[in-house]
Amino acid sequence: MSLSLIKRRPFTSVLVLLFLILLALGWSKRTALAAFPDIISAYTAKEYCSCRYVMHNPADYCLAYVKQYVPTSRFIDDAAHKQVSVSGLGRTNTAVWLSPRQGCQLLPAP
Amino acid sequence: MPVAILRRLLLVSSLCAASLTQAETWPGADWSRAEAPSSAALEAFSAYAFPPRDDVSRQGIRTDALLVIRDGQIIYERYAGPTKASTPHLTWSVSKSLLAATLGVAYGEGRFKLSEAAATYYPPFAAHPEVKLGHLFNWASGLNWQEDYEYAPLNSSVVAMLYTRGRTDMPAFVASHQGEATPGSRFRYSSGDSNVLSAALKGMLGAKAYADYPWTALFEPLGITSAVWETDASGTFVGSSYAYMTARDLARVGLLMQRDGRWGERQLLPKAWVEFNRTAFAAYQPLPGEAVPGGHWWLNQAVAGAAKPWADAPADSFAALGHWGQALYVLPSEGLVIVRYADDRDKSYQHNELLKRALLAFSPEVAQ
Repeated sequence: MSLSLIKRRPFTSVLVLLFLILLALGWSKRTALAAFPDIISAYTAKEYCSCRYVMHNPADYCLAYVKQYVPTSRFIDDAAHKQVSVSGLGRTNTAVWLSPRQGCQLLPAP
Repeated sequence: MPVAILRRLLLVSSLCAASLTQAETWPGADWSRAEAPSSAALEAFSAYAFPPRDDVSRQGIRTDALLVIRDGQIIYERYAGPTKASTPHLTWSVSKSLLAATLGVAYGEGRFKLSEAAATYYPPFAAHPEVKLGHLFNWASGLNWQEDYEYAPLNSSVVAMLYTRGRTDMPAFVASHQGEATPGSRFRYSSGDSNVLSAALKGMLGAKAYADYPWTALFEPLGITSAVWETDASGTFVGSSYAYMTARDLARVGLLMQRDGRWGERQLLPKAWVEFNRTAFAAYQPLPGEAVPGGHWWLNQAVAGAAKPWADAPADSFAALGHWGQALYVLPSEGLVIVRYADDRDKSYQHNELLKRALLAFSPEVAQ
């Protein structure tokens, strides 16, 4: 970008600069950004599983307990297998109850 | 002189009662009870912890369980919400102090020294050869760790560790962080440091013995039967966050600490270990009202010219503290152990206020 180009198109230049900064920021935080959408479904699945199958609280209480500002789109509590699957922000995560001592754990990312 | 004899008998019997109360009380399968009689101070204590519960907005103080032990006996116990005496409640970061107690047993067995490098027992920490086990207990690894929860989820190391990038192998995720300060020079609260200690314990014991160790070393000797301790996918206990037990069981750990690591006749944790737990991190820069970090416990000590964080509680008070209001307070000079479980979603609850009211309601002078 030559000085004359900036003088001719000041607004476009600023926009291009902002875009480049955003791109650099996004690149530097790429791993955090890639993992970010998993947080809501993983949190909800894990903490609901523990609320229900470790702490033995009622299902309706546990639903309210895990509620966050970010909505979830799909929620399956498979009581027979003590397995909880939750989707949100385009990702799905599953937590499963393992044993009386080990409680619940998130399954490896699909 | 029947009246004089009666008086003498009364005196003798009251002396006997006094010597009996001086004998130590320990819980067996359950705690013995000596409920405090109702008083205005007791009402004020209860009213602070249990205001009308708002389950819609989730605002305000939302205590799930409150249990007070004095000299080894239950003097107050109340539950709210879905929590009952039988509920193994999530302790969140109280787990860190439970991990410290578990490691204290290993310390007594001569399995490690605080001056040893974490990498000795957890080889992936070879990337951080200067980090000693003692640094981790003081949350002073010097790693570039971000401990925010809900407010900055993108940058939060702890959220990534528990729910996304770190969840299959939490200590390995911690090890992947950069060192940014000299180990031992700076306090930065880190769930990562705690989980490296959990991994180091696995290295000391081997995976098989490790899987049972919190139970064989700590829970069973104390008579704790409700404990659950979740692991990551590699089988490492989430020492930072995921231990569960009933309020009555957590109080057993409090009584152990109140009595300097001794349980009945057995010195389960070396006295020197409890002393380390209760020693403030030397390089700590105090923040007003914030509990002082010790060896994976929190202290009410006046350090570096600052006032003690909980003004109305004795300076020898210490605690295990967790997210959303979980707390195990130990007040040795008052003979008190207090367990609080909660679901506090805002910052209304104040440790000092609860302790102040507890002292008014339950301190021995008041009880007489």
